[in-house]
This record gives sequence, C-alpha cells and structure tokens, in this order.
Amino acid sequence: MYRMQDEVTLLRASLQGETAAWGEIVTRYKDAVFGLCLGFLRNRADAEDITHDAFIRAYVNLRRYRLDKRFSTWVFTIAANLCRNRLRYRRTHPVFELETDSGGGTDPAREVAREERHVRIREALQRLPYAYRAPLVLRFYNDLSYREIGDILNIPEGTVKTRIHRGKAMLREFVGEERDSS
Amino acid sequence: MNTDPLEMLLRETLREEASAEAGRLDGLEQRVVEDLGDRAPRLGWLGGLKQLIAPTRAGRFGQVAVVAATAAAFLIVGALVGKDLPLFGGPKAESRGAMLRSTAENELLFVLPAMNAENVSVVGSFNDWEPTPLSDEDGDGIWTARVSVPPGRYEYAFVIDGRWWGQDPLADEYVRSFGEYSSVRYVGGGGDGV
Repeated sequence: MYRMQDEVTLLRASLQGETAAWGEIVTRYKDAVFGLCLGFLRNRADAEDITHDAFIRAYVNLRRYRLDKRFSTWVFTIAANLCRNRLRYRRTHPVFELETDSGGGTDPAREVAREERHVRIREALQRLPYAYRAPLVLRFYNDLSYREIGDILNIPEGTVKTRIHRGKAMLREFVGEERDSS
Repeated sequence: MNTDPLEMLLRETLREEASAEAGRLDGLEQRVVEDLGDRAPRLGWLGGLKQLIAPTRAGRFGQVAVVAATAAAFLIVGALVGKDLPLFGGPKAESRGAMLRSTAENELLFVLPAMNAENVSVVGSFNDWEPTPLSDEDGDGIWTARVSVPPGRYEYAFVIDGRWWGQDPLADEYVRSFGEYSSVRYVGGGGDGV
C-alpha cells in the first residue's frame, strides 16, 4: 500500500499514527542505518539493536523533524547518538566479537587477496578511535557531505575534514603495521 | 572520480561487511511496527499547547481562537513595523492592502511578517514540500513570494529560520497534519491540488 508513496506522504501518515507507513520508512532506510551502526560500533549484535532502537526513537520524536533537513540526516543523527551511548556503555560492559573473520568468498587467489585487504581494513577500523572512525564511516559508507557529517556529529565542518584526513593517515599506518607483522 | 586506493578499499570493506549481515535486518520493519504498538509520535510542549487550544481538526472554536491570536500577532507586528500594513495607513498601505486581498486567478501570493528572520520559505503541496524562498528586499520584515499554480486546493506552511509556521493569517482554512498545523488556500475554481 505504501510502497509507491513519496517520503513526505509516508511521514505525514506516520504522524497520524499509521505505523505501517513507518514500516515502509524503515524498509527504505534500514540498510543505511545498519551500515552506519556497524561501522561505528564494530559489533553486529549491537548494530542490530541500535538500528531497531533508532527507528523507534525517530518515530516517537517525529514531530521534531524539520523539513528543511534531509530526513536521512535526521535519522542518522539519532542513530549516531545512540551508537555513542552504546560505546560508552561498552567501556564498562565489554563484549568481544570477532569482526574480522573472512566472509567465506569463493576460492581463487585473487578473491583471497582481496579478502585479506578487507580484513586488514576491518582490523584497522577497530583500532581507530571513535572520533575518527565515525566521520570515515559517514563519508565512505553513507556518502555524506562534510557539512552533513558535521551536523550529525555536532562538530564544525573544518573538524570533519581534519578528522577524515587524520583518520585515513592512521588507517594507512595501522594497515601497514599489520602487513609488516604478518 | 575518486581514485585514492585507501578510500576505495574502505568503501568496499564497509559495504561488504554491512551487506554480509543484511540478513539480520529481515523483518525489522515488522519488529519495529510491533514494538511501537499504539504509540504515537510524542507532542512537544508547543504542539501540546496547540492541541489544547484546538483539540481537533473540526474544532472550529479552537481554530478561530488560534486564527484570532495569529491575526492579532500579525497586526501587533505590523504596528511595530509601522506604516506598512493596511490598517495602519502607512504609505504602502493601499498597495499592500490590495496585494493582501487579491491574488490572481492562478497565483498564490504569500505575505508574512517576520521581523528578525534570516530565511523564510514556503513549503507546500504546490512545490512538493520543497522550500520556495520568500524575499524581503526592502528589509521591512515583511516577506513575500508569488507562485503560479493551476486552480486547486493547496496546503502549505512557512519555514522561518528552520522553524515550522503553519498558520498563515491569510489562509482560507487550517488543517492539522505533519505534526503541526498547515494552512490551506484555494485558487481559482477550488479543485484539489494536494
């Protein structure tokens, strides 16, 4: 019923209490929100939890959404805030999850080498401080502008650029270290 | 086109790890909808106040109260601005009065006093809720815009420095939608332009 509706129509229907319309919004944004959460948190179960919670929280606070911003930016802001809270919680309640296992691709040597590069990047992302990891994920997974990233993380645009630049330098360094040690 | 190998690898890695876990999202929509149950989007304090004043869409008394309050605010601002609004007889009063009262057969004219605003735009069913800017070229705090439209019924609201302002004193009626009031105007024969 809602599949062909435009976003504003869905949001209006959601505000009238039509949760099925909200379900369609979830369908449209769940991949992007989950990818953001997984990139930020580096933990699959937490990412799944936070994705769910972000959509609940967004619905409950839907009246705060203003049309002059992209809806995706608003939802990403909610998800990013929840991720930050979860990471704080994880400082005192750590879980260990092997996030760097190979995805079980097909066997040609090229595929193996490619997978190894991904594993190194995943390990490097894990080591990267959150302040640098978050802008990298928003930039390279969610394809957001510096300005949108600044809005989501509540930091100036200049700081976003600096963190992305430094974050990439740190990633290069970590990937290099891992290559040398292997 | 980006050719930084690290950026490409980072992009590829993030996408791949997310898509490898996409199965976790199966049925998320249903889970969210079930968990929401009968919950409705929460009203802010302003929304609560508005609802108190005008509890239903059909609550004519409430609507009249809101319209009267808005019109009063409009006139007070006009008095502060001085001279510009029709009831205050300023030099531009006659022409402004004429503008306020009449719109062309297929035109929406928006006029809004917003003294310290930096950006005023109008969003509505005539522009797919994408902002059309209002201008205040003489800096008198009265923002205006004209939009050509076919005859029909149009819902709209102003966005003043990012804040929703859905009760235009010049509207034909108001509806409660999108969590706030929106204004409605009929152009020409009236039809349904929404």
